[in-house]
Amino acid sequence: MRPLTAGPDEDARHTTPSPMLQRLAAERATGALLRDRGTLYLADGQVVHAESPATPGIDILLTTGGALRHEGWWDAVAQAGAGQRVARYLVDSGHVPGGALELCHLGALYDAAFFALAPTRTPARFRYGVSHWIGPVRPVAVDAVQRETLRRRELLDRIWPDALTDTAPVTRTAYPLDAPVPPRQLRVLELADGVRTASDIARELGRSAFHLLVDLRRLAAAGLVEAVGREAAPGAAAHGLAALPETADPDVALLRRLRDALEAL
Amino acid sequence: MYHGKLPELLPDAGTLRNLWVTAVRDVGRGVRVPGIDECLLEVMRLPGARGAAVVDWTSGLALGTTGESPNGDHEATAAETAEVARMAAEQPAFALPPPGGAGGPRPGPPVEDVIITTHTGYHVLRFVETAFDSSVFLYLWLDRAEGNLALARLRLGEMAERLVLA
Repeated sequence: MRPLTAGPDEDARHTTPSPMLQRLAAERATGALLRDRGTLYLADGQVVHAESPATPGIDILLTTGGALRHEGWWDAVAQAGAGQRVARYLVDSGHVPGGALELCHLGALYDAAFFALAPTRTPARFRYGVSHWIGPVRPVAVDAVQRETLRRRELLDRIWPDALTDTAPVTRTAYPLDAPVPPRQLRVLELADGVRTASDIARELGRSAFHLLVDLRRLAAAGLVEAVGREAAPGAAAHGLAALPETADPDVALLRRLRDALEAL
Repeated sequence: MYHGKLPELLPDAGTLRNLWVTAVRDVGRGVRVPGIDECLLEVMRLPGARGAAVVDWTSGLALGTTGESPNGDHEATAAETAEVARMAAEQPAFALPPPGGAGGPRPGPPVEDVIITTHTGYHVLRFVETAFDSSVFLYLWLDRAEGNLALARLRLGEMAERLVLA
C-alpha cells in the first residue's frame, strides 16, 4: 500500500520517478522498460508508448466512446499489427482522424506512464530492441514524462491527501448530494458500488484511469465517496504493534515496522 | 519477437491468421498526417498570436505547445488555464440546455469557449469535442494591440473541429 503522507514517498516526490529511465534516455536506448505496474516503450531514448494493467488501452478508449468500431480496430491489427504500424494504419485507412488519434494516444501514454512509474520495491528490467505493435505516433521526451508523473502525484495530494481511493474498491458514503456534482463526476459516483476500483470504472467508461483518480479524490474531498475496507487496516496494524518487542534501545528495523504500521492506519 | 501486452479485445481466429500473413508488407511506409503540431502552427498564423497549446483540463497536461507562454513556462500555463477551463466546464449555470429544449443532450462540455481579457492580451480557451472520452481544449494567447479577437475566436472554433475531424 502506498503511504498516505510523508515517508519514503517524500523523497521520491522531489527526485525522478525512475533514474534508470533517465539513463536509458541519455544513451538513446530502444526497447521496453518493464516495471512492477506497467511498461514503457522507448525508441531512440524517447517514450513512444506505455501500457499498464491499471489503465484502459487505446483500443478501449477509442471503441467505448464510439470513435472507432470494434471491426475497425481488428482490421487495423490484422493489416498492420505484425508490421507494428497499427496507429498509422488507423489514420491512413480513415478509421480515426490523425489529430484524434494523437490526442487519444498521448493521453493513454501519460496515463499508463503514471501508473508504470509508481513507487515500487521491485527492480525494473529493460529489454533492448523490443518495440510495440501500435507503431510510431508522437514520441515524448523522457524528461517530460517524469516531470508530468511527479506533477500528477502532487495534483492528487492537493485535491485530497488520501490515496486509498486510488486502488481500493470505492463506495458511496451516506452523505446526501447537497451540492451540484459535475456530470462527469456523477457518472463515476453511479458506478461506485463497493466492488469496482478506479481502474474498473475507467475501463467501463472508456476514460483515462488518472482522470478517474482525480474524480474520485474530488468526490472523496466532498465526502461523497470512500474506499472500502478502510476498517480492515487498523486491525492488522494493531496486531503488528502488539507483536513489537520491548527494548530500551529501538533499532532501525523496529522504527521501520512502527512507521509501516502507522502508515497502514 | 516480443510485441507487448495483447490487445484487450480478443480477435477471432481468422483475424489472427491475417495478422501474420498480411502485415509484413506494411513495413517502411509512413507519412505524417495533420495533427496537434499542424493545428498549433495554423493557430499561430493568426495576427497577434503569441503562443498556443493543446491542454487536457482534467490533469493540466500540455499535449502540445508552440510560441511564447505568458509566464515563460508552457507547463505552468497549461496547469493554470486547465483550472479555468475546468471551472467553466463544471458550473451548472453554463450547462443549461438551449431554449426550447431542441437538440437533446450533447456529449462534451456545454461551454464552447472562455475568453479572458487582460491589459495586454486576450487568452482564448476553446473546448475540443472528441468522439472518445477526453477533456481537451485549445489555448491561444493573443496580443491585445495586434490581435483580432472576433477573427481569432472564429478560426479557433474551426481548428478545434478540424483537429479531430480532418
